[in-house]
Amino acid sequence: MSVLPVLRLPDPVLKRAGIPVGEITADVMQLCADLVETMRASPACVGLAAPQVGVSLRIFCVDVTGHGKARSCHGPVVLVDPEVVAAGTAVSGREGCMSVPDLTGDVARATELVIRGRTPEGVDRVLQVDAFEARAFQHELDHLDGLLFLDRVTSGRLFPRRVYR
Amino acid sequence: MPLSAVLAVGADRPGIVAAVTGALAAAGANLDDTSMTILHGHFAIAMVVAAPGGLDVAAVLAPVAERLALTVDVRPIAAGTPAAPPGSRWSLAVYGADRPGLVASVTAVVADAGANVIDLTTRVVGGPDRPVYAMQLELAVPSEVDAGALGDRLRAAAAGLGVDCTLTAVDPDVL
Repeated sequence: MSVLPVLRLPDPVLKRAGIPVGEITADVMQLCADLVETMRASPACVGLAAPQVGVSLRIFCVDVTGHGKARSCHGPVVLVDPEVVAAGTAVSGREGCMSVPDLTGDVARATELVIRGRTPEGVDRVLQVDAFEARAFQHELDHLDGLLFLDRVTSGRLFPRRVYR
Repeated sequence: MPLSAVLAVGADRPGIVAAVTGALAAAGANLDDTSMTILHGHFAIAMVVAAPGGLDVAAVLAPVAERLALTVDVRPIAAGTPAAPPGSRWSLAVYGADRPGLVASVTAVVADAGANVIDLTTRVVGGPDRPVYAMQLELAVPSEVDAGALGDRLRAAAAGLGVDCTLTAVDPDVL
């Protein structure tokens, strides 16, 4: 396993839609493991999508364990070729992204979500998520469509990220 | 490239942004942070411009200003000026029946506490017979400032003004 570099804007891979994975090969399993390891390498990171590490494939991982805003929590989840089955009402919240340094913006996300995909082992999985976990899944799903939170800012305003000093 | 703060305002019409930014781009200047909005029929541009050393930004904008009847002000920004003040981010919403001095009273409480307004938008809504004033502020609250106490003082001030006020921690989720 290895920690991969996380791409940032204006890298064009971030704006490219991911290709469906289909058959899960040894390379795909390796990528899934690397995504999780890369996510864990950044303490604040709760999710990472394959395009963020330069691979245009429809894979992401999410882990909201221990996050203060989480209600549902499925622990570390890796989904291959995920798709939304059902989405509830959207609520606005401030978001940032590892691939978009220094900016945050308000993005409306469904607070309840049913999502389907396959595990790296090829097992079908359907997850019902809410609150922060739902937001994280939708943020990562967007990465698979070449969308960043910047594409979804509702208020038309961008804010500088907090400056620590 | 040295930075300048540029302000431009004038009666709104199509093409103001295109003309102002077009003149800057043609002169080799580059836009940094900007905020541009329409304010009751006037268009207001506030922006930071990075211009090649020696370029007179005011002179570059003078023909556009004259053609579109814009008031333009240009001032240099000292090198090394931080982009934004430090501190945790808070969102402050204040709204209620319009009366003179609302913004002054609320922001005086913020300033007295040592916190910084980093974004402020106000709109007058409702009919002329019952105007409602709505303010939305983003604050930077330095770590040494007690945000809870600031909230208490803001609520007290708002109560005295007969308006509602909510201070909420902005806690961006970096995903």
